[in-house]
Amino acid sequence: MAGMPARYLRQDFLGGLVVIAVAGFAYWLARNLPAGAAGGMGPGTLPKGLALLLGGLGVLLLLNSLKGERLARWSIRGPLFVLGALVVFGLAVRPLGLAVAGPLAIAAAAFASSEVRWRETLIFGVLMTLFCVGLFKFALGLPIPLAPWLVGY
Amino acid sequence: MFELIQNLGIGFATALTPTNLFLGFIGCLVGTLIGVLPGVGPIATIAMLMPLTLKVDPTGALIMLAGIYYGAQYGGSTTAILVNMPGEVTAVVTAIDGHEMAKQGRAGTALGIAALGSFFAGTVATLIIAAIGAPLTRLALLFGPAEYFGLMVFGLGLAIVLARGSVLKAVIMVVLGLLLATVGTDLETGQDRLTLGISELSDGVDFAVLAMGVFGIAEILRNLESPESRNVAIAQIGRLLPSREELRQCFGPIVRATGIGSVLGILPGNGAVLGPFASYALEKKLAKDPSRFGKGAIEAVAGPESANNAGAQTSFIPLLTLGIPPNAVMALMVGAMTIHGLIPGPQVMTKYPSLFWGMIASMWIGNLMLLIINLPLIGLWVRLLKVPYRLMFTTILLFCAIGIYSINNNPYDVYFTAFFGLAGYLFIKLGLEPAPMLLGFVLGKLMEEKLRQALALSEGSFMTFVERPVAATLLALAAAVMLIAVLPAVNRSRQKAFQE
Repeated sequence: MAGMPARYLRQDFLGGLVVIAVAGFAYWLARNLPAGAAGGMGPGTLPKGLALLLGGLGVLLLLNSLKGERLARWSIRGPLFVLGALVVFGLAVRPLGLAVAGPLAIAAAAFASSEVRWRETLIFGVLMTLFCVGLFKFALGLPIPLAPWLVGY
Repeated sequence: MFELIQNLGIGFATALTPTNLFLGFIGCLVGTLIGVLPGVGPIATIAMLMPLTLKVDPTGALIMLAGIYYGAQYGGSTTAILVNMPGEVTAVVTAIDGHEMAKQGRAGTALGIAALGSFFAGTVATLIIAAIGAPLTRLALLFGPAEYFGLMVFGLGLAIVLARGSVLKAVIMVVLGLLLATVGTDLETGQDRLTLGISELSDGVDFAVLAMGVFGIAEILRNLESPESRNVAIAQIGRLLPSREELRQCFGPIVRATGIGSVLGILPGNGAVLGPFASYALEKKLAKDPSRFGKGAIEAVAGPESANNAGAQTSFIPLLTLGIPPNAVMALMVGAMTIHGLIPGPQVMTKYPSLFWGMIASMWIGNLMLLIINLPLIGLWVRLLKVPYRLMFTTILLFCAIGIYSINNNPYDVYFTAFFGLAGYLFIKLGLEPAPMLLGFVLGKLMEEKLRQALALSEGSFMTFVERPVAATLLALAAAVMLIAVLPAVNRSRQKAFQE
């Protein structure tokens, strides 16, 4: 998105489109929920009503977007590796435990910064994991798995 | 008056037991430690550290959480003053003159006056809570579902007015929050709503997950984009204690700010956020030489910090007496209370007096502790802030992941956090403020419940909101507040007020 067209896009134009899309998606998800008869409220009343309201507000934002700030630059690297690190942690924590998920997450996250240094990251990741194991597992006794494949818990 | 002293007696008896004192101390300490990390505000800190309190009894857990909250706020001010990286909106004001003072070699004095001002504000706010807690609770017991609904609509109206930037965008975020709150099982029929068939979503979106995503994770993404510009190479910290002359200069601002902050903090709809801005604007207006502001004026640190702390504390009032969280931090407190089987509301005070008053007493003790632990530890915080961000953010991220996982021991919560982190990044790029969305989300579930209850009681007639005088007044107030916000003249002066 960092390319040429993005630079000509107004912030609120894209914002309006996103809001309308979210509203439309929510309405579509709620399509089969009964809206309730006159007087009573059904499970669908609020989701549908709010989705319609949100969609309307999105249209207003879109219409007002002729002036206003242009879209700032987007980066891909930061979000990709930071969010990726969280997903890696989530995937690894149950089967492999904190002992593996910790260094993996730190290593993955480190790539989000352009200043990544290999050796530093590895040493730091191991040290931080040791600290977290000591704090969360032993000092606080949280039931987070440590290394099920090695020690069985 | 006698009742007040008796109640505070119960409170101090509870808060001063060795265990609770220790828990409060640990809370303040780790709260400050995490809060000092650049870009980590109180909301992310509390969400991250909530698991620490899981194994403690409810009273101890709440005392510790309150300690974490004050610690996080104070840590945030420290970062704002030393490196000009405020972790949250309220610390932005402190950063203006506080960081200037630090550049002039007066960082110690800025931190010292912030601590002293906060302590004074905290003491007054604690007394206010103790004094009006009981009468407000009695009032709250008279509220029916219609009144509660009206009060929450009023809160959302205020949140929209108080949000920065365009009113339309604030309304959008509130509605988005309300919509997100409908995700999960329907209260009455048990039908799944908007869950995409993901069974982990049938209890709804977890508030800690949402808050951590849009505040904690998105903040990391924002900081990664701006190349490292921290300047911790501050030559000297300087004297910690302000001189007599400086104290005299700050006394008025601290007292005024405490008043402003306390009143704004009680308002539903995150009034506390406005305290530091209001105090800064007021002191600038009252100053003999307003041009000093922005160039390291000590009142511009003392006032906003005191207002911030007073508001932080009085915002417990709506939560403890009415069960309505006025902002995101208080919503996290609701989450913590629910984990321990407590439902916030007027019944807490009558059912668990030692918990209620113990928590209030611990607020004052926590403020005293902050004063004692933080002043000698400033050297340590400075050293911590010298760690490069490329190492720091990986640690913050790992703490976030472990914290979120541990709340429910569920890896899905970590995935959802990543998703909301992406959403938060999108909001930053689109100029949408997440705070009103969180408030909409927090109040959404309660509002739907109360709305449906009120309609069930009135057999489906919306006239109940007009016929009941308190509910009608609150709804009228909400409408008035929102109308005022969209009036062009007011809107313009509102924009100007926020720019200052």
